Parts: sequence; structure tokens; C-alpha cells
Amino acid sequence: MELTEREFYTVIHGLVLGTLFLLAFGGGLAGLWSLRERLVTPEGVQERTPRLLIGTSVMAIVAWVTVITGTFIAYPWYRAAPPEGVDQADPAVLEAFPRYLLLAQEKTAQWHEFGMEWKEHVAWMAPFLATAVAFAVLYYGVQLIRRNEVRRAVIVFFVLAFAAAGVAGLFGAFITKAAPVA
Amino acid sequence: MATLETDTKPNGPVVAAFIAAGVASLVMGIGVVLNEASAPIKDAIGVDFNAFLQFDKNFGLGSGVGPLSGKVGLAVIAFAVSWVILHLLLRGKEVNFRTGFIVALVLVGLGFALTFPPIFMLFAPAE
Repeated sequence: MELTEREFYTVIHGLVLGTLFLLAFGGGLAGLWSLRERLVTPEGVQERTPRLLIGTSVMAIVAWVTVITGTFIAYPWYRAAPPEGVDQADPAVLEAFPRYLLLAQEKTAQWHEFGMEWKEHVAWMAPFLATAVAFAVLYYGVQLIRRNEVRRAVIVFFVLAFAAAGVAGLFGAFITKAAPVA
Repeated sequence: MATLETDTKPNGPVVAAFIAAGVASLVMGIGVVLNEASAPIKDAIGVDFNAFLQFDKNFGLGSGVGPLSGKVGLAVIAFAVSWVILHLLLRGKEVNFRTGFIVALVLVGLGFALTFPPIFMLFAPAE
């Protein structure tokens, strides 16, 4: 029972950071949703605002770390080209070259042409959106409860950030199953 | 955008952050399209966007990342620059939040659309 360096990294990238992202999203969304004057006492607002800030900030930080490490560490492993002379139509010799392995077979080509092409780009929406959300929560703090239009917009951006990361995470899992970078 | 009265902090800085996220998303989408349409654009005006977007080779941003390095590099720069500019323009101001948010949502929506393969492949040359 052992993990290669690349397997270990993909576990960190997908599973550990992904789990943290999910936890932060769940906590943050619940906090934002229930942040209404008729539901929370002034003491309750004081108590939950730091937690809300932590949740949204963690989500933003995790989103940045995930896309940066995914793009600059895992992605080069994925798109590495086989050396000259290797038959790019023969899956048997392409195990170490995931992108080319997927493209070599009709039944897996769409994992790259649709899945990876979407994942590698849409993932980057998540940190932009999550950072704007964290900033809004940091900026307003306890006042956010009195800015309902901002709170609703924050929820929309928060969900969009999650959706972007969700698409990337889902395709990441499927692609890794079809053609692991290990 | 109209100036409104409120008893909390002015909303300008938050609108700035939201629109900056939208600008970054759109720049990402435009980068994807420019890369896909690189060959016909090069034929038409002589600019090779595929080569330009390879920030890993051109500027040492990562290794083996290819054109994605340029797309994300430009998107991050767009995010930071637009946020700073908009923040300076909108700080201390109370603006029409609905309008600002709709602008941000449209930008994000365009960004999402242009990174969706069935859409950006429309700009790729036929094989």
C-alpha cells in the first residue's frame, strides 16, 4: 500500500483541498442564508460573523491554492507529450501520457476534448468569485445583515464559485479514473 | 450609477470587487477563444495568439503549462488591475447595487459561456 509522488499530490489537490472547499462552502452558505434580521439576534450576529468570515475566506484561499497547484503542477504531467517515435494511436504505450492516452481512443477522447478543456478553464472562475465574496463579508462584517441586496448577491456568487469548482472537481475525478497522472 | 443614502458602509467597494471578478472571468473566456481561433487570426492579421499565450515559454510562468499559462496570467492581472481601478473609483460611494451586480453577472456569464467547449470550439478552424 503506497502512493507515488504524483498520486500523493493528486490526493492533496483533489481530495484534501476539495473536502476543505466543500466544508467551507456548506458552512458559508448556511451562514449567509440565515443571516436575516428576523432570524438572528444582535448577539447572534456578533457571534456568527467571524465564523462566516472564516468560512468564506477559507473557501477563497482553498480555491486559489487548488487552481494554482492544479495548473502549474498537475496539468503539465497531464499534457506531457510522448517522445518522438512513440505511436500516438497505440494506448498501450501511452500510459504515462494521460492526454494522449485519452485522445488515442474514441471512447475516451471526449474526456479530454470536452471534460479537460472545460475543467482547466472554468476552474479559474472559482477563486475570482470566492475572493469577491470573502471581500464583501470582510468589508461589511456585522453590517451585512442590514444589506440584504448585498447578502443575496454574495450568495449568488458563492454558489457560482461552488458550481465552477464542482464542474472542475467532477471532471477531475472522472479524468483521473480514465487516465491517471500517476 | 445613482448615489443613494444608507446607514451602513457605502457599497462601492463591494461592487468593485464583484465587477472585477466578472472582468477576470471574461478575460479568461476571451483568452480561450483567442487561442482556439489563433490560426485564422494569424492568417488574417499576422498575430499568433497561441504563441503569445505561452507565458511558460515567454515569461517562465510554470513549465509545460502551454497557452493555459497565458490565459490564467492575463485573467489574474485583469482581476487585480480592474479591482484596484474600480476600488479607487467607487470607494466611499453608494451606487445602484442592482445595476452593478447585473453588470458583474453578465461578465461572469460571458466568461462561463466562452470557456464552455461547444461554444469556444465554434471559433476553432475546421479540421
